[in-house]
Amino acid sequence: MQHYNTKKLIDELQQQTETFLEKAVSEWQMMSPAKLLKQPATDKWSFAQCLDHLNSYGHYYLPAIEKAIETAKQKNWTSRKVFTPGLLGNYFTKLMAPAVEGTKLKKMSAPKSHIPIADLNSREVLSEFIQQQEKLILLLKEARKINLEKAKVPISIASFIKLQLGDTLRFLIMHNIRHILQGEGAIEAPTITGEERNKIATSVSF
Amino acid sequence: MIALVSNRLLIVTTFSALSKLKPVVSNVHLLTNEEWNEFAAIWQPFTAKRKTILTAAGETEKYLYFVIDGVQRAFYLKENADKDATLVFSYTGSFSGVLDSFLLQQPSRYFLETLTASEFIRTTFNQVNELMKRHHNIETFVRKSLALTIAGVLERQIELQSFTAEEKFRVLLKRSPHVLQMIPHKYLASYLGLDATTFSKLLGSVRI
Repeated sequence: MQHYNTKKLIDELQQQTETFLEKAVSEWQMMSPAKLLKQPATDKWSFAQCLDHLNSYGHYYLPAIEKAIETAKQKNWTSRKVFTPGLLGNYFTKLMAPAVEGTKLKKMSAPKSHIPIADLNSREVLSEFIQQQEKLILLLKEARKINLEKAKVPISIASFIKLQLGDTLRFLIMHNIRHILQGEGAIEAPTITGEERNKIATSVSF
Repeated sequence: MIALVSNRLLIVTTFSALSKLKPVVSNVHLLTNEEWNEFAAIWQPFTAKRKTILTAAGETEKYLYFVIDGVQRAFYLKENADKDATLVFSYTGSFSGVLDSFLLQQPSRYFLETLTASEFIRTTFNQVNELMKRHHNIETFVRKSLALTIAGVLERQIELQSFTAEEKFRVLLKRSPHVLQMIPHKYLASYLGLDATTFSKLLGSVRI
């Protein structure tokens, strides 16, 4: 199993979140609802749908992560230099990894409660996304102080299964990458170009 | 050696920051070379990550900031309310800090936070105060700056109380169009006293 330098891991997760937040504020906010709601095909999600899908996960995971951090603080589970992923956490994160050019993305279907409707208020969805990413930045900052293995978060579809906090963060942010790249593909003239896309897909090391 | 290099780097960074501060000061009130040199000597570099609380409600503001890079906002958080009210933004080339708390040295009623990773130079109340006592011209600079600030606050008060939503939006677009791509629209809507839906509609319909 791969080991991570905890500081480097959180640095990278934070950097990735910063990048998307920056794009959301400087570019996606200025897009028209028509652009954000355009579905490439009737059975394909629009950019807004992708973001709404991510929001539905954030809605569950951000408070759950906050709770895990609180518990860890109370129990004095302080941070450690090295983070070792759990088997399950690693599996979920790798499953979410976006496709690199030339390879095929593993097709998955979203759980029913996370399937977005097509008729969305795109600006509300984007505003919620920005708010959630700002919250995620704050949680990453707090996570630096605690033990990412001992703190645990129950997963959304089966609360008796718990992931290490570090894995939950890896999974959540990898899931963001996956659907943001998907959503960007749904709009004409995406703000993330083919080359940049490939760079993101190949450079993620968590 | 490393300390020496990073020290030198610090001096270079501060130097380039001061060269940005100088025209902003001269624009308000011209200082003599000697006064400027003393004024320039009281600033220290400071950086903060995105979403850092610089001053919390209840704390007394320790610093006056000059923004080299990034965006900050001051907001008021009412007890038991789920929404905060955005009071003011600061960005590259402007002063920042909780000004009333700083000058009166009394607890702040509101928060100041960074909205993006930010780079500043900053100074303390004592340092500014000492210079004001010694140089009439520096006190004049502070007085004139405050007069301009009060004029700005009252102008905003007029806009908040008697402008329509569309007029408020147009004023923002005319005065600072760049903020639309720098600041989450939720905060801009709050700053203008509009709800987010109205702001979205105006963004879709108003063009200048």
